[in-house]
Amino acid sequence: MLLNRFKIVGHSMQPTYNENDNVLVSSLPLLFAKPKSGDVVVFEKFNKFYVKRVESIKKGKYFLVGDNKSDSMDSRRFGEVNREQIKGKVIIKL
Amino acid sequence: MKLSIIFRLLPQNLVYAHCDIPCGIYDPHNAQLATHTVIRMTQMLEEIKGSDKKAMHDVARITHVKEEHSSLIEEELMTLKNDYFKKEVVEKMDEEPWPLFKKALVSCAKARQGIDMEAAKETLESVMQIAEMFYKSKGLSSTRVKAPYPTGLDIVVQKA
Repeated sequence: MLLNRFKIVGHSMQPTYNENDNVLVSSLPLLFAKPKSGDVVVFEKFNKFYVKRVESIKKGKYFLVGDNKSDSMDSRRFGEVNREQIKGKVIIKL
Repeated sequence: MKLSIIFRLLPQNLVYAHCDIPCGIYDPHNAQLATHTVIRMTQMLEEIKGSDKKAMHDVARITHVKEEHSSLIEEELMTLKNDYFKKEVVEKMDEEPWPLFKKALVSCAKARQGIDMEAAKETLESVMQIAEMFYKSKGLSSTRVKAPYPTGLDIVVQKA
């Protein structure tokens, strides 16, 4: 995932990203530095791509949550995510 | 601005910012059902004899179902743990449910990794205790009855 354009589906990243927003995602930044708290990342789970924010990292496992915490299906529900599942970082909103 | 237009030429993929509507509909039944399935699949794996093509095929199919239902147990337990047993619910309970969830998830992983009837039954016991906690937290009575499945084991249901 060198550089991909994604359209956001769902409301869990509001107010940062709204439904139908387009974002650019790249794996390049993650080649030089591991994802850190506060990064918005795209990860793969259940054969789909999801976008969430890194809340914390413990022993190489990433706890990801949506910015719209009251309405987000995230690590609070499906648990932590491995580094391998994180495919890229959101660089900009188009 | 121009750069943005160029980027928009890139093929578009979908990324899910999944929401989770707090619908209030939770039930420990599915976790119990999935655990009975894991127990039944373990029984069937223990019953397989021989190593011919049919036996190998059966082992693959049964193991696949055992895997799927182990995942389902985990998924159902995580839903109950994170969505139902919220702080305000747990505060009113006599004891915290977290050790039971941990126990259930550990034995579930063990039952998944091998043909381990003891682990599968341990999972059922923990899942049933979680079900009892669930009903109690709602002010409802529950009871253990013999499940109508070939596992020959119990299931927790709401008492009428």
